[in-house]
This record gives sequence, C-alpha cells and structure tokens, in this order.
Amino acid sequence: MENIEIINLWKQYDEKLEKSLSLNQKIIAELQQQKVKNALKPARNYKYLAILNGLIYAGLIMYFLYYLNPFVSIFIKVSVAIHLMVTLVAVGMYVRQLVLIGEIDRSENIIQMQQKMATLQSSTLKVIGVCFLQLPVFITWGISFELINNNPLAFWLVYVPIVLLFTYAGIWLYRSINIKNMDKKWLRIMFYGAEWNSILRSGKLLKEIETFEKD
Amino acid sequence: MQTNQQTSPDFLTLIEANKRIIFKICNSYCRNADDREDLAQEIIYQLWKSWSSFDSSYKLSTWMYRIALNVAISFYRKEQKTTPTVLMGDHVIEIADENLEEGLESNLNALQQFINELKPLDKALMILYLEEKSQKEIAEIMGITTTNVATKIGRIKEQLKQKFNNQD
Repeated sequence: MENIEIINLWKQYDEKLEKSLSLNQKIIAELQQQKVKNALKPARNYKYLAILNGLIYAGLIMYFLYYLNPFVSIFIKVSVAIHLMVTLVAVGMYVRQLVLIGEIDRSENIIQMQQKMATLQSSTLKVIGVCFLQLPVFITWGISFELINNNPLAFWLVYVPIVLLFTYAGIWLYRSINIKNMDKKWLRIMFYGAEWNSILRSGKLLKEIETFEKD
Repeated sequence: MQTNQQTSPDFLTLIEANKRIIFKICNSYCRNADDREDLAQEIIYQLWKSWSSFDSSYKLSTWMYRIALNVAISFYRKEQKTTPTVLMGDHVIEIADENLEEGLESNLNALQQFINELKPLDKALMILYLEEKSQKEIAEIMGITTTNVATKIGRIKEQLKQKFNNQD
C-alpha cells in the first residue's frame, strides 16, 4: 500500500467518525464545573504533606539540639546537626518540586512539557538519594571521648571502619539511586509499587526524548 | 472568569470541531475502553482549563494538539488514573455503531495496530502526519526542528509501507 493510500484510509476513517461521533454535553458541563479537579493534585498534596512532616520533624530535632545541648557529647551534636541539615535539604527539594508543578503548562511543546513532567516524577529518587547521605550519622552519634580514650582498639578497629563503610555506602547510594540505573536489579528490589512504576515510565520516556531529539 | 467561560459557546464549538481528533488520540494511546473514556475526559478538562489563557496570536490547532497529545502521553506514563470519571457508564464522546467495508476495516485495523505499537512520541508524530499537518506545524507541536520532523516522517513512512506490504 502506498503512503497516499494510507493517508486516504485515515481520511475515510475520519469521515466515518464525523458521521458516527456525538458529544455528550451533559458530561462536558460536569467537567466544566470541576474547578478543583487537577491531574497533578495528588502529587502536589503528597509534596505538601512531606514538607509539613519534614518541617515538624526538623523543629523537633532543633528543640532536641537546643535543650539537650549541655548534656550531650559533641559527637551526638554533630550527628544530629548533619541529620537536621539533610532533612532540611530534602524539604527544600520538595519545595522546588512544588514550584515546578506550578510551572507545568500543557500547551508547551511536547518535548519540553514531557521532559519537565518526567524529570519532576523521577526527582523523587533524588530526595531518597540525599536521605541516604546521612547514613554514617546513625553510627557516629554513639561515639564518645570515653570510648576513644578507654577502648581505642574498639574505636579504631570497629567504629572507624563501620563509619567509613557507612559513609562509602551513603555516597554510593546517593550517586547510584537515579533514573539512569532504573534497570538495575538492586534498585528494583529497593523500590516497587505504583509510584515506582510511574518513575520507571518517566525514566523510559526521558530516554525516548533523548533519542527522539538526537535522531 | 469561570462564569464567563461557562456561558460562552466557544468552548463547546471547539470540542465539537475537534471531537474526531480527541477520539483518535484516545484510541491510539489506550487499548482499554475505560482508559479511553478517562483520557477523553482528561483531555477535554485540560483544554477547558487552558481555554481562558489561550493566546489568539497562536494557531488554535497547534494549541489544541499540544494539550491533547501532552495529556495523552502523560496518561500513558501514569500507572493509575488520577482523575475521577464523571457520570460513570456514559461516554463524553459517543460512537454510533457503523460498520465499514470489510477491506477498509482490515486495513484500518492494521494501521491502528501499527500506531499502537509505536512509542508515545513516535505515536504523536504519526498522528500528526496522518492528520496531514505541515512539517512546520508538527515541529511547533513536538518541539523539534523541521529537519528532524522530515527525517522521522521519512522513516515512519518506510515502516508503514513495510507493514502493509507484509500484510499483503
């Protein structure tokens, strides 16, 4: 079949639809009244909730740092401060995502709009990656001068290697949890469910956009 | 603004004039009838939402295709629907059962199958090609260069030809 025949086939299909399609005005009227209906609303609500939880949690950490300051060791203070910093960075990332959601304009060209949407969806992974950066603080808070002075062998042979291992693991996970590694088995074991499937599809689409623009 | 929009017949005229393309896009992006209905409603809702901000210095069809195809591609990416269907059981675009000639029907099925197998962006390009949009307009809708459009369309034409030749 020649291309012109294929175009004609599509035209015939169009003519058939012209005769057989009718609009259900009742549904259109219903749709017009749904002022708050928005496809991005669940995503937006999820971010608001995450920001609220993050801020409450950060507030509690600050309260802990302020009131327990004289009673706790420098190791606990530094560990908690790092934990606080990472929490605030994660909250900041969610705020940025909210701004990006607000900037979504469906009348933009397809490549631009889909790139924004897919990047936005896959950025959930970045927040998780950032959270892994604080992995070593869950060990360092247990260190004390008493331990270093009284049991240096345990400190150097047990604590330090574990802290280094956790630091390495934290940095590795921060760098590796991204959409480019979505095909890796370990990432598929860590994440699953509807949200992960959406992220997977976003990753595939980002790859497709890349190829589409190159060709 | 909402009230002004609701009393204006322009939006309904727009949907009436473009119901076939909305239907065809939904058919190309969703195999399941319920999904098709959800997508049709989502497209109409997004068109309605953007209607007040439509800049008349732009071509209406470019604006409409951009929104409809963007919604369809986003819909494909989502696992679950986020928009509740209104008036369950009814269809926003109803189709009367009209049969086509046998030969036409089988060729059309082959064409639909070919479109269904394409990746979401290629699918958008294919629809625009079949709708006989100019390369310039396709480039504006897709956000790629006209040279890129020409290359891709050339490739799609070849694939299409092959598909139908294999069928014969």
